[in-house]
Amino acid sequence: MRRLTKLSAVAAVAALTLAGCGGSDSEGGGGDKPAASDDVCKTADGDGPKIGLAYDVGGRGDQSFNDSAYAGLEKAVDEFDATCIEGEATDGEAESAREDRLRNMAENDATAIVGVGFAYSESVNAVAPDFPEVNFAVIDGFDPDEEANDNVAYLGFAEEQGSFLVGVAAATKSQTGTIGFVGGVNNELIQKFEAGYAAGAKAAKPDIKVEVAYIQESDLKGFGDPAGGKAAAAGEFDKGADVVYHAAGGSGSGVFDAAVEAGEGNFAIGVDSDQYLTATAAQKPFILTSMLKRVDTATFDFAKSIDEGKPLVSYKVYDLKADGVGYSTANSVIEELTADIDGYKDKIISGEIEVPTKP
Amino acid sequence: MSTTTTTTPRKRGVVERLSKSWLYIGLIGIGLVSFVRIVTDTDDLTAAGTIRAAIIATCPILAAALGGLWAERAGVVNIGLEGQMILGTWGAAFFTYHYGPWVGIAGAALLGLVGGLLHAVATVTFGVDHIVSGVAINLIGAGTATYLAEAIFPEYEGGGPRQLNGLEAPTQITIPGVSDLANTIADKHWFFVSDIASFIQALTTNISTLSLLVFALVVVSAVVLWRTSFGLRLRSCGENPQAAETLGVNVYFYKYVAVLISGALAGIGGGFLALVASSGFSTGQTGGRGYIGLAAMIFGNWRPGGLLAGALTFGYTDSLRLRDTQSVHSLLLLVALGLLAFAALRAYRRQVRGAVAVTIAGLAVLAWFLSTDSVPREFTVMTPYVTTLFVLALGAQRLRMPAADGETYRKGSAG
Repeated sequence: MRRLTKLSAVAAVAALTLAGCGGSDSEGGGGDKPAASDDVCKTADGDGPKIGLAYDVGGRGDQSFNDSAYAGLEKAVDEFDATCIEGEATDGEAESAREDRLRNMAENDATAIVGVGFAYSESVNAVAPDFPEVNFAVIDGFDPDEEANDNVAYLGFAEEQGSFLVGVAAATKSQTGTIGFVGGVNNELIQKFEAGYAAGAKAAKPDIKVEVAYIQESDLKGFGDPAGGKAAAAGEFDKGADVVYHAAGGSGSGVFDAAVEAGEGNFAIGVDSDQYLTATAAQKPFILTSMLKRVDTATFDFAKSIDEGKPLVSYKVYDLKADGVGYSTANSVIEELTADIDGYKDKIISGEIEVPTKP
Repeated sequence: MSTTTTTTPRKRGVVERLSKSWLYIGLIGIGLVSFVRIVTDTDDLTAAGTIRAAIIATCPILAAALGGLWAERAGVVNIGLEGQMILGTWGAAFFTYHYGPWVGIAGAALLGLVGGLLHAVATVTFGVDHIVSGVAINLIGAGTATYLAEAIFPEYEGGGPRQLNGLEAPTQITIPGVSDLANTIADKHWFFVSDIASFIQALTTNISTLSLLVFALVVVSAVVLWRTSFGLRLRSCGENPQAAETLGVNVYFYKYVAVLISGALAGIGGGFLALVASSGFSTGQTGGRGYIGLAAMIFGNWRPGGLLAGALTFGYTDSLRLRDTQSVHSLLLLVALGLLAFAALRAYRRQVRGAVAVTIAGLAVLAWFLSTDSVPREFTVMTPYVTTLFVLALGAQRLRMPAADGETYRKGSAG
């Protein structure tokens, strides 16, 4: 019996250690990893603000959302002599784990802390009052209660405007008159993408049909399930769609696979970052464009406001006008459509077109 | 689930024969689905695309379930399937990148096997509680895969610390003539015939050889476990290891073999996810499929046929709701009819209480179907779970796990 207890203890410790190496805060262990060696936070030693960056699930290296935030951080380190610390959420972690991560950063003298992703809204709301001299920002965040925090900035994006533009692209490119949308999780944030996309498509082609699928209804694993993304997108291609736009994070690579399998003349549209640049050679020709969400701009902007001593607070929306959203032109297929799309873009900026945020 | 045995042996024999002939059940099932498809006008129910997606969604779960079967038949509960599967996704990615898909699948099996070895060492040699060890393996599997990915994949083409995309897939098979013919017939949307044609079309068009392999493994497992003396000895370790040892069976050896195979099968399931279900590795892509495989195995009554039915039901309904939420509404009618048919069978067996209960359930679902136009989105995600539970709960009412499943066995304890 004693041996049994000892062994399970060893197994449990080994498990925790390995799980620790895999994810979580990069401050501990794993410093000799090649990926970590180009981490700007390992080398930065300036005397500017100390920025804490708390990633969402997926973390740095997701070639999307989190990486974009990192790009903004990198730029801030460069320009303001800032230093930084990073932390990363793990799948299915408790709310308290997020709070601990933020507290840990604040106690380690970070003066500006960015929570990447709406999932940090609650924990920032809980932690911020305890550190009045630290400034917080939540990307895509919202204030969960009535009481306003005067040291928290909620950096939102007008995703519906960017989605509107790729909706125009999809509808104009479509030969069949049917296009598709695959969302990772059916929540308010992703519905904004759907609403803008459908509105843009309808504006360009009033009789267009938009097939909509969500991988999960509320479970966030819908953002990390390429197999589910592929099945959902394949279903839409089978129903006659020839352009499918995804707002499904890591599941998106499955959507690109589905476009490749559907064959020539079919396209997929990426999201958040310019996914043409990170796609495989086989997928590239099928990626019509990507809806860009400039998380890097927002992160950098926040760092800049700290450096200037006028920290951002309350809500700020990065829209087309502020260059917070947009679309990519990396694939030359899009070139014949850009005049059209830019026409709509001007109309949105001037306020002539108002893009809905709910489908 | 009450089962009364008031029927006479003769009548029971007829019913048993009927319910045992899978062919009849299959045909009735297809007829039922076809009927529902025409009544509700949802061609997606048996479209070749749906069936293809269902096969792909089934395979990883099926492989994990088979892994569970091997381990538990030898008396070791393996809830580390999920972790072994995650190791498999990494193994498949690494070895496919260097040596092509088939070595990749072997690599997936190898990594899963390493996970199995850990579990075997802990549970068989050292007698650690199976659940504790299994949970540890899930954590170790997830951590190791993430760590190895971060350490190795960023330098690869198409790789990053969290993913490795653009992996070569195993060969896909298309049988030209049959595939086209089946397509033509399927497009006519005739009753029954077109549904069969859709099946044939899905099976003859771009079907992955790895899918075929996974289904073949079910047959192989069934034969090895139930038709060979090796299998008998292995199962005896799960039923009564003391008795097995007194008969000269090396219990530890058989348990080791079973758990190693279990891990390898789960690894293959993970490899399928990385190579066929999508074209790359990404962390967290298993999404709990190992647990679902384990559940399919348990509700499939620790039998190959049962776990196959469970995995297929789950895979089919999951891909159906992903492809078309509207078709979930049609599924209600299917469930209602299935329940009523089952109630009829109960009534025939004179199991009055059961028959009444199932009829009421069937009518309730039917009423739900008739009174609504669609199923609320919140429910559609649950469809695969609820349907699988329904089907398997009705199919196998008395679950019987191997008698010594989950118990620690010490050598020489037979006395």
